[in-house]
Amino acid sequence: MIENRRRLNTLSELLEPNWRFWSLILILLLSAGALFLYPVSEYQGYVDPFYSPTVLVLPFIALFRLSCYAYRKDYHRHVFRHPMACLNDERMDSSKRKYSGETGFFALNNFHRYFFYIGLAILPFFYYDFYTSMVYQSGFFIFRLGSILLLANALLLTLWTISCHAFRHLIGGSVDCYSCLSHGTGVKKLFNGQSLLNRYHEQFAFVSLLVVVAVDLYIRALMAGWPVDFTFFRIAI
Amino acid sequence: MSDKVTISIKRSDPSKGEAPHFVDYEVPTQEGMVVLDAVHYIGSNIDPTLSVRWNCKAARCGSCSAEVNGLPRLMCKTRVDKMGSRISIEPMRAYPVVKDLVTNVSHNWEVAKRIPPFTPKPDLPKPWRIAAIDITRSKEFRTCIECFLCQDVCHVIREHESNYLGPKHMVKVAALDMHPLDSIDRTGFLHTEGGVGFCNITKCCQNVCPEGIHITDNAIIPEKERVVNEFYDPIGILIHRRRQKK
Repeated sequence: MIENRRRLNTLSELLEPNWRFWSLILILLLSAGALFLYPVSEYQGYVDPFYSPTVLVLPFIALFRLSCYAYRKDYHRHVFRHPMACLNDERMDSSKRKYSGETGFFALNNFHRYFFYIGLAILPFFYYDFYTSMVYQSGFFIFRLGSILLLANALLLTLWTISCHAFRHLIGGSVDCYSCLSHGTGVKKLFNGQSLLNRYHEQFAFVSLLVVVAVDLYIRALMAGWPVDFTFFRIAI
Repeated sequence: MSDKVTISIKRSDPSKGEAPHFVDYEVPTQEGMVVLDAVHYIGSNIDPTLSVRWNCKAARCGSCSAEVNGLPRLMCKTRVDKMGSRISIEPMRAYPVVKDLVTNVSHNWEVAKRIPPFTPKPDLPKPWRIAAIDITRSKEFRTCIECFLCQDVCHVIREHESNYLGPKHMVKVAALDMHPLDSIDRTGFLHTEGGVGFCNITKCCQNVCPEGIHITDNAIIPEKERVVNEFYDPIGILIHRRRQKK
């Protein structure tokens, strides 16, 4: 019974963060392959999220993901196994293995906030892509399934970016005395609001990445001639 | 729920040279029974030599910490019917065993002494007044019951030699740093003597906290970000130096 219970606990601990981390690695490899071998930057008004605003920012976005606190937890657990799980029988960490935490190479993760600035600067382009997808034919306003996907992509990336721990620090986390500031109440409200989002940062990290890939695949499917381009309405303007 | 449960306790008595070994006990179950009840039943009816530290039996004192089915938990807050028909109980592995389930956690008092204490800002008018808006963040940390489960589950404390304070003490540092009347900046202390860089944010401490304190998200990561401000971020370093000059 103990064995069964431990197996179940281990399974639940392994599945969630594993999926998030290994999906990131898989997606980074697939997207690198897709971008170089079968590039699809734009099709019928839909701009591929990997190309928004330019494919050149992708390395910085990858570093933004890799230095994110959510992914740090994942690779420390599932690649380096420091520890693999919290359960004592499954943790796979031992005093015999060298450990430096984030004092050696991984001290570079401390520059996460600079990748966050890049991520924040890129966000408006995703909303612009959503707008473009509706007005790409001159004289018409067209609302299609792809536009909804582009909007969902923009919103989820926004939620992931603004729920970042580094952002939390910058908008009020570093303040000890809010009442000492002239606009302290506003800062505290902003901090509290962001803290609500911050609780779901790991989930936003996972889902937002999946949606980026889903949009990319959708645009590729359209290009391949799949009948998945549903138009809800088309108005002459 | 079955009528009986098997409690497997890791017993040892280092003072008599007794090596750690598991002993199984059959305990009759009752509605609402917690693991500490089962341990008490064993002590009262089967083997009175069994040692366990406990006090309030209400998850307030933080005394009855142990590893139940491999995970650090408070025995008084862990229901028997949620743990299966065979339950293993071990003392906290991060600390030396005194006897059976009792561990010596006094190392924590030594660590606590290393933390720069609360130092009020000079010339504060008395009585001290704190605005409600400034209390909420450090209030969460004040709910810590010092059960040391977070210290026990932390792999840095448990498996590796380092100067890292550990999650419980990071909570203490965060509570002091975020106190609106405190005048000391403990960032330099954390970066060097506190060994905050050894924490790799795997969140086991947060998972086991019986008080639901968001140890990693609200204490450790904010402190790490303060370290970034002062030691890694060039813009943050400039701002910090300018503030210090003022």
